[in-house]
Amino acid sequence: MTNARQQTAAISISDRRDRAITLAPAVLVLAFGFLSPLINLAIESLKEFTPGRVGSVENAATTVQNYHELANQAFANVLLTTFWIGGVAALVGQLVAFPLAYFIVRRLSPRMRTLALGFLITLVLSSVLIKTYAIELTFGSVGILRPLLLTVGLSANSREYINIVVIAGLVHSIIPVATLTLMGAMQSIDPRLLDAAQSLGAPGWKAHLSITLPLSLPALVSSTLISLTFAISAFVIPMVLGRGRVLFMSNVIYTRFSDIANYPSGAAISLVMLATALAVISVITLAHAWKSRR
Amino acid sequence: MDMTRRRFMGSAAALGIAGTMTGLARSAFAAGPELTAVEWGGDVVEAMKQIAAAQDASTFNWVLHQGGAGAILPKIKAVWPNVDFDYVAGWEGSFNSMVKEDWLETINPVDIPNLADIPEKIIIRDGKGNIKAVPRAVGGMYFGARTDIAPIAIKSIDDLLSPDLRGAICWPGPTQSMMLQIVALALHAGGSETNMEPGWKLMQDLAKSGNIGRVAVTDIDFTNSLTSSETSVGFFAEPGWAAVAKNFPVTRFTKDSNFKAFLYQSGFGVMKNRPNTRATLDFINFAISPEMSALYAKVAGEAPLNSKASTPDNLKHLAFTPEEFSSFVYVPDYNVVLEQQDAWSKRWEQDIAPLL
Repeated sequence: MTNARQQTAAISISDRRDRAITLAPAVLVLAFGFLSPLINLAIESLKEFTPGRVGSVENAATTVQNYHELANQAFANVLLTTFWIGGVAALVGQLVAFPLAYFIVRRLSPRMRTLALGFLITLVLSSVLIKTYAIELTFGSVGILRPLLLTVGLSANSREYINIVVIAGLVHSIIPVATLTLMGAMQSIDPRLLDAAQSLGAPGWKAHLSITLPLSLPALVSSTLISLTFAISAFVIPMVLGRGRVLFMSNVIYTRFSDIANYPSGAAISLVMLATALAVISVITLAHAWKSRR
Repeated sequence: MDMTRRRFMGSAAALGIAGTMTGLARSAFAAGPELTAVEWGGDVVEAMKQIAAAQDASTFNWVLHQGGAGAILPKIKAVWPNVDFDYVAGWEGSFNSMVKEDWLETINPVDIPNLADIPEKIIIRDGKGNIKAVPRAVGGMYFGARTDIAPIAIKSIDDLLSPDLRGAICWPGPTQSMMLQIVALALHAGGSETNMEPGWKLMQDLAKSGNIGRVAVTDIDFTNSLTSSETSVGFFAEPGWAAVAKNFPVTRFTKDSNFKAFLYQSGFGVMKNRPNTRATLDFINFAISPEMSALYAKVAGEAPLNSKASTPDNLKHLAFTPEEFSSFVYVPDYNVVLEQQDAWSKRWEQDIAPLL
C-alpha cells in the first residue's frame, strides 16, 4: 500500500516536472516577449508628457490624464469605427469562407483540394501591402471598377464608398485564413450524416442548417474571432484604402508613438484597445460556451 | 561531364566559399568606414547616393525615413545612447527635438570649412549658441495645383471651399509638415501659430465642404493621388510637388500674396556616441561643397544654400529676393510649432477627422 502511494506520488512529481519543462519555453517567451513590454507600456501610460519632447522625460510625474483625455466623443468614434468596420469584415469573411471551405472539402477531388490548399496558403503568405494596393487599383478612386460602383449610386468621394473599399480590403485578407480554419472542421464532419438526413427527406439546405452548421459552430466561432482580431488590429489596410479619412485605433496609436512621440498617450490608447478587444472576445467566447452547455 | 550529387555539392560549397571570401575581401579593402545615414526616399536619397559615389573616403548604408522626419525620433529614443545612425537628415522640426534631447554632436566650424558659405542666420543652434546641425538646402511647403486637371483656377485660399473642388484636394495628414498647412489657414484668417483658432475654424469648413478627397499620410500618398488624377490641388513640401511636376504641369503658389509659403532647411544632424564622427563630418563638408550642392539641388529638387552653388532654373520658384521673401514667405516660431504638435494632432482627431 505504502509502495503504491509512493509510486503514485513519484509519477505525479514526474508529470509536474514534464509539464513544467514542456511549458517553460512558451512561458519564457510570453514573459519576456509579451508580459514585460505590457508592464512597461502600463508604466509609460501613467507618465506625464512634456510637449516637444520625445516620449516621457526622466522622472516624469505620475498622472491618469492620458486615460482621462480619452473620455471624449472623438475617441469613442474611432473605437466604434474600428469595431464596426472590423466586425462587418469578419462576418462577411465567414459568409464567403464557410461555403468555400465546404466546397473545397466535399466537392473537389483530392488533387484539386491540394491545389486549392496551396492557393489559399499562398494568399495568406502574400504581402498585405500588395493585396491592399491591388484593391486600391481595382476599386479605388481611380480604379478600373470604379465606374461599376458609380452606377449603383456610390460617389467615389463619399465616406460610404471609402468604408466599403476598406471592408473589401479586410475581407480579402480574411477569406484565406478563415477558409483554412474552417476546412479542418468540415473535414471532421461525417458526410454520412448529411446523406442520412437527405435520404430521410430533408431538403439540402435544411440538412446543412441542422447538421453542417451546428457541427462546425466551434470552428466558426474560432474563425470569427481570428478574423475579428486581424481586422481590428489592421494598420496598412485602413491607412491606404481609407485615404487618411478612415481612422482605426492602430493608426491613432501609430501617430501617437511614431509621429508626435507622445509615448504616454500612445501607451494609454494601446491598453484601452487591448482591454476592449479582450472584452469583446471574452463576451463572444462566453456566449458560445453558454450556448454549448444548453 | 556527369553531374553527380557529390560533385554538385562540392561545386556549391566551392562557390559558397568563393563568395564569402570575395565579400570579406571587399570589406577588408573598402575605401573607408561604413557610415549609416538616415535620408528621405525618392529623389533625395538618389541625390545623396550620387554625392556618395563622387567620393571614396566612406561607404554608406542608407536607411530611409518612414513617414515624416519625426518618425525617426522614437526609434532613436528606444535605443539611446546606442544609436546606429551616423547622421540623420532632417529639418527645423526634427532637429529642434533632437537638440532638446541632447542627441546631436556640436559642430565646430573648423571641421566643416564649407559651412562658411552657408548663410549664418539659417544655422540651427542650441540655447548656448552651439551649432547643432549643418544645413544643405532649402525646400518649401506651399499650396499648388495640377493645372491640367484642376476644376477651377485657384486664386486664394477661399477658393478651396468652392463646390467645384469636390474631392479634388489632397490635404496633408496631421503628422505631415508639422501642420503648417493649418498655420497657413490661420494666417489667411488673421491668426498665426500662436493664435490657431481662426485656422481651425477654416479647417472645419474645409473638412465639411467635402472637397478633401484624400488625406495624405505619406509623401507617396500625395504623389500617387496627384499623378493618378484622384486629386489636383494640395499643400505639400517641394519634393512632392517636384515628383508630380516631372510628368504634369504644376503651379506652386509661392509668389502669390494670397498664399503664404513656408521655407525649411534640410540638413545633417550628426549623432553623438558614434565611432566615425570624423568621417561623417568630412562627408558632410564634401556634400555641402558648391559642386555637390548644385548636384543635390538638380536631383533632389531643393535649392542650394551654399552661396557659391548655382540654383537650377527649375527651382527659381524657391529663390526669393528680400522683398519677395518678406511678402510671400512666413517663418513661424518653430519652437511653438514643435510644442503644439501633440495638442494640434489631438485637435485634428477630435474636430476634423469626424468631418472627413
